[in-house]
Formats: sequence, C-alpha cells, structure tokens
Amino acid sequence: MKRAFSCALAIVLLGSLASLGLAAYPERPVKMIVPWAAGGDTDAIKRVWAEIAKKYLPQPIIIANITGASGTKGAKEAKGAPPDGYTIYSTHDYIHTTYYTGVSDVSYRDFEPICLTTSTPSILAASPNSPWKSMKDLLEDSKKRPGEIKVGATLGSTSHFFPAMIEREAKVKWKYVSYEGTAPRMTALMGGHIELGETNLTQLDKVKAGQMKLLAIATDKRHPEVPDLPTLKELGINVTYAVNRGFVAPKGTPEEALAKMEEVCAKVAKDPAFADAMRKQGTDVSFLGRKAYRDFLEKNDTLNAELASALGYTRKK
Amino acid sequence: MDAFLNAALAIFDPQTFVYMGAGVVAGLLGGAIPGVTITMTVILVLPFTFGMTPLQGLATMIGVYVGGESGGLISATLLGIPGTPSAIATTFEGFPMARKGEAGRAVWLGIWASLLGGLLAGIPLVVGALQLAALAVKFGPWEYFSLFVLTLTIVASLSEQSLLKGLLSGVFGLLVTAIGADPLMGVARFTFGTDFLLSGFPFLPVLIGIFAFSQLMKDVEDMGSGTAGPLLRRHVNLRVSHLRVIGEILRQPWNLVRSTLIGLWIGILPAVGGSAANIMAYDQAKKFSKQPEKFGTGMSEGIIASESSNNANIGGSLITMMAFGIPGDAVTAVMLGALIIHGIQPGPLFVTTHTPVAYGMFAAYFLAHLLTVVVEWVLLRYFLRVMLVPQPILIPIILVLCALGSFALNNIIENVWTFFFFGIIGYLMVKFGFPLAPIILGVVLGDQLEVNYVRAVMTDADPWLFLTRPISGALLVLSVVSVAFALWQRRRRPAAPAEAEAEM
Repeated sequence: MKRAFSCALAIVLLGSLASLGLAAYPERPVKMIVPWAAGGDTDAIKRVWAEIAKKYLPQPIIIANITGASGTKGAKEAKGAPPDGYTIYSTHDYIHTTYYTGVSDVSYRDFEPICLTTSTPSILAASPNSPWKSMKDLLEDSKKRPGEIKVGATLGSTSHFFPAMIEREAKVKWKYVSYEGTAPRMTALMGGHIELGETNLTQLDKVKAGQMKLLAIATDKRHPEVPDLPTLKELGINVTYAVNRGFVAPKGTPEEALAKMEEVCAKVAKDPAFADAMRKQGTDVSFLGRKAYRDFLEKNDTLNAELASALGYTRKK
Repeated sequence: MDAFLNAALAIFDPQTFVYMGAGVVAGLLGGAIPGVTITMTVILVLPFTFGMTPLQGLATMIGVYVGGESGGLISATLLGIPGTPSAIATTFEGFPMARKGEAGRAVWLGIWASLLGGLLAGIPLVVGALQLAALAVKFGPWEYFSLFVLTLTIVASLSEQSLLKGLLSGVFGLLVTAIGADPLMGVARFTFGTDFLLSGFPFLPVLIGIFAFSQLMKDVEDMGSGTAGPLLRRHVNLRVSHLRVIGEILRQPWNLVRSTLIGLWIGILPAVGGSAANIMAYDQAKKFSKQPEKFGTGMSEGIIASESSNNANIGGSLITMMAFGIPGDAVTAVMLGALIIHGIQPGPLFVTTHTPVAYGMFAAYFLAHLLTVVVEWVLLRYFLRVMLVPQPILIPIILVLCALGSFALNNIIENVWTFFFFGIIGYLMVKFGFPLAPIILGVVLGDQLEVNYVRAVMTDADPWLFLTRPISGALLVLSVVSVAFALWQRRRRPAAPAEAEAEM
C-alpha cells in the first residue's frame, strides 16, 4: 500500500516536472461552465462534445453545471472566472435575450468568442387538441381572435422571442403564458393548457405518437429530417430562428488558449461521431471560428436588441 | 410477458449485475451522507456509464436512485439528519425510535417499507405507465396550485406545540422563496441590490442548514452538558426479528398502500419531487392513525409512510420519464440525458421502439430494490460503526460534508454561506420552540405555488376557475377539510404532549 502510494507520488511528480518543461496549453483539465442542469439540451450536447474533444485535447474537459436564475448565474460565474484559458463557458442566444430583457447584466461583450458549435432549428408546435391543420389555419384563427391564443414560453428567452418574431411578421397577436424550460412547455402543450409553443426536432416522437402537431420550421430550406414540414419562409413569414450554441472564454484569456480551443472545436465539428450524435439531438453541426463567431454574435446581438424593444422590454441602465 | 422475462435475463448478465450492485452501493453512500443528494451521486456516476451498453448504464443509474432513497433513511434514523430531502419525515419518527434504543427496528422498518412501497409502485410502472402519465398531463396550473395549497395545510398538523409558531414558520419558508429574481420575469425582489441575494436561496443548502446544523448544534450542547454520550453507545441494538418488522408493516396495509399511492402520484406529476411526497404521506398517516398524539415519539406508522412513499416516488418519476420523455425530477433528468448520450431518443415511443431497453429498465427497477436490501443487510453494521465514532470527531466531519454538498449543488461558494446562515436560523428556531417541518414545506412549495398561480391567471383571468375546474375544486375542498380535521385532532388530544418533546 505504502509503496504503491510512493510510486504514484513519484509518477505525479515526474509528470508535473515534465509538464513544467513543455508548458504547452493545456497543462491541466479545462472547466466548462454549463449554465443549465445536467440532462438539459445544452448539457446533453456539450457532454457529447467534451467526450469527443478528448481525442483532440491532451487534457479532459470537466463540465460544471452552474445553474439558476434562467442560466444567468452560470454566466456571471463565467464572467468572473480567471482568464487563464482553463475556464470556457457554453452559451447560446439567451446571452442576448437575457441582457436586453434586463434579466442579467452579463453581455456577450464580456467574453472572447471561441467558436460556434451547433444550431438547433426552432419549430412552431401546436397542441394535439387544437383545431388547426396548418400554419394558414392558425393565422386565420389568430386574426379572428386576437390576443386569445395561448403560447407557452420562457419569458424573455429564446422560446419567447421566436413566436414573437412570427407574431410581428405575420401581424397577429397572441397571449403568452410563462412555462420555463422545454420540458414543462411540452407537458403543457400535450395537456392542452397552452396551444402553441417553440420546440425542436428532439420532440419528433411526440408528433408520431399524436401528442403534438408541428406547424412550421424556422430554417432557410426544408429540413431533411422533416421534409413535409413547410418553412416559415415559404409560407411568406420571413423568420429564420435557431438556438445557436457555442463557446466563449472570459475576457483576457491568452491568445494561445483561444487558438487551441478553436482548433479542437474545428476538429470535433468534422468528427462523424459528433455529427451522428447531433442528428439524434435534432441539431445541426455548424462551426464558426473565432472571427466569424464574433461577427455572428454581433449581428445576433443587434437583432435581439431590436426584438426586445419591439416586445416592449426596455433595458434600464 | 415474454419480453419482460427476456429483459430480466438481460439484467442477470453478470457484468450488468455487478454494475448495478456498484450503483446501489454508490447510491446508498450518497444518500446516507447528509448534504450529498441522489442527483449529485447520479451525476458522479454518469461518466462511468458512457462505456457501458445503454441498458447497463441505465440499470446502474436506477441502482443509484433506488439505493439513494434507502440510504437517506439511515442518516435520518441514526443521526436525525435527513440524508436526502425525501427522508425528512423519516427523521420525525425514526430518530426518536432509535434514541429509545430501537435503532435496529427503526432502520429495518424503513428498509422493508422502502422495499414494499417500491415494489408495489413497480406494478403500475409496468402495467399502466402510459395511461397514468396521460392523466398527469391533464393537471393544469389550477390543479397544481390547489394541490400545493392542500400540501401547505399539512402545517396545521405538523405544528406540534403551538399552531401559531407553526404558521409563522411556514410563512417564513414561503417568504424565503420570494427572495431573489422572481421565477417568471427575473425581476429582483428583496435583494437590497446585492448579487448574492439575486439568485435566491436554493432549496438544498436551506434544508441541510435547517435540519443538519440545528441537529448537530443540539448534539454539541448535549455533549457539553454531559447528558449524552456518543449517539448510540449504549443502545446499539441492531438485532431485530425481520419477520416481526415485516409483520408490523403488513399489519398496516392501508398505511402502506395509501403512502405508496401518494408517493407514486407525486412522482408522476412533473415538477414535484420526493421532498413533498414523504411529508404528505406522513401527514396522512398521522391523520388516519388511532394514536395521532403519539406521533413524534417514534411511531412505526410514520416511518412506514415516509419510506414507502419515497420509493414509490421513484416508480412515479420513471413512469413520466418512460411514457413521455419528460423528467419528473432532477434524477430522471440526468437519466434522460444519459439515454440521449447513448443515442436513444426518449419520448412517447420509447417503450415501443426500444422495447428491450425499456423492459430491461423495468426489470432493473425491481432488481435494484432487492439488491438494496441485500447490500444494506451486509453493510449496515459498518454504517453503524460510523455512528459509534465519538461525537467530537463525527460532528465536524458531517458539517464539512454538508458544506461540501452545498457547494457541489451548483458549484458556487454562495451556497455554503446559505447553508451556514440557515443553520443558525434553524438552531434559533429549535431554541425558541418553532417546528422545523413547516419552514421546509414553505421553501419546497413557495416557488411552485407562485409560478402555477401566475400561469393560471395568465392563461385565463377568471379566478373562479380554481373552484369550478373539478379536480382543482375538489383539492381546495380537501384543503379545508384537512385543516378542520387537524384542528379537531388537536383539540381532542390530551394536553400533555410537551413531555415527549422534552425527551428528545
């Protein structure tokens, strides 16, 4: 026992000496902050990512689920983390929406972009007991009874912004009810307590089982997984929307670390195992490097700022 | 049936069996350590399941889940500290019983009740999952609100000495949940402009603060005054006649079935966890008991109710998870994540498209219950050694574990402060004779009450819907009955309950 221990100690010491000599990033495990609970969409996607990233990074990536307050607790923690390259933060569009709706003070500008990893296209779904067979039925009905059709959403987040964009483009008025998170929203939709809600391709089983109807998808072109589902665009509603997940690091993270992580991102994006896992997640692999991701975030931020003010949110400053 | 037998055989594959056994042991340890929850244990086990087959992985996690629910009762009974939130009510009777020198009877009553409750709840899991889950989906915000109102009325019967103090404690619990960003729009309330308060007080650090810290402080006091030695030095009477204990449970068939049904239903409803189920089952056991006045002194009925309901709760959560792919609690959320990582899309077609895995999970559920009993049979004597550790050593260790658990909840240091803060509050409350259970009930239900009320009004502005929707209306009527009954029971009770309290 004692000998085993001293052996282990020697190995550890040797190992650390060796790493001192080389000193290439990363020398120790990298912490990935996921601002939502284990088992959620983001967590599931990023766990697979971290598993595959092991192939391309000499150190493991440890997931820390820092949950609470619509994901803003984790955002705050990430912003305050030491910018040494050993903390990366898994984020998505909520970083803009929570900022402009005043839920959080953390902005994408507080971070260095690393990469965009995936996009999960949004779909407008209806309760199985709703009378509508198509988007057209819904819009006609919405015009007949403005402000009456109930939409479930995480208020101030992506599931709220998506239907709100449709509302604006199609010139209709709906009523919003707070259902925070995909799971409660889906339950309420199945029970008919709400009539509309945002969903994604992971929920296809519920459609096949007759527990939910899909009305339209917010992609540019029809999605291969659901070739019969019309896009909003072809229905004359100019809305494309997806939940775009990526990585950022605290402001001031060294160039070397950012470049290394970007490289790992690019490799994982090309790995067929990742693409395969993402297909099951109803998610498209879409890689953007540091520079392109920065532009993407910027554009997305402007759009969300506009939307937020159109929705009646004003950010107090 | 064939499919089920095949699945059972798949589970008996030696490798799967070993993984599951390891899961049960991990669950038992995690459940027994105050501050470490079943959810955390499952998350810790998750990476190990990546290399297994889907069924092995899920069977291991089910092992953790079932083992954890049983582990919670060990520290609840022996230390007076609930190892998991779903063992809160077990402390009310199990700890006094253990203190009276019947530690063995108390623990085994819990273990056997867990087994029986869990197995009973397994029947609807296999037979009627889809129908039950479809029923649960019909629960709208009105029904949830009324259900939580009914749950809150339990305060009336949990307030041992003074009803006023019980109500104050409950209201304080509700107020605690109002602190921080509101659950709908994130508007800051009672935060005094600080970031710390903005995120509110998470349930787990509050719970272990209130229960564990106050209990440990009391132990420290007893130690100082020399009235009590190590927790169980003189009364390590673990020897029990298992037949007698099982007989004791089976002589209360209604209690067992009622508690199992409560646990099952609360488990099926998404968003309400085992922390509410065990208190509700305990309360019902007390209401139906012939000797409600003796509750709090080590009544077997209370242990049986609490422990059978929390294992039945697992069956319920699994029903919702397998029927709809919707997590009933945090543990099933992690299990769903594991399914996805293994490339299986959970959802309403899961059982039909992945029949071998689904039936394997059913088989694993039953087997995990049996394994838990076996493992406890072997390990219990070692667990008890822990209880024999002198208190000056044991108490700091438990405190550190509680603090660690608070931190690990979502990996931030603020939770540790929350734990200490509520520990002091809990200690003061005990000192001034305030009951602890109502505050926990308030903290568990506060957010849910608010969210469902607001949802109901956002959906339809008509407040009468709470009464005119049949299930919601019935639940509200039951709430009135529940309060009236508790008050009547109080009045009928001879006025000498303080004695029992003093004994503790």
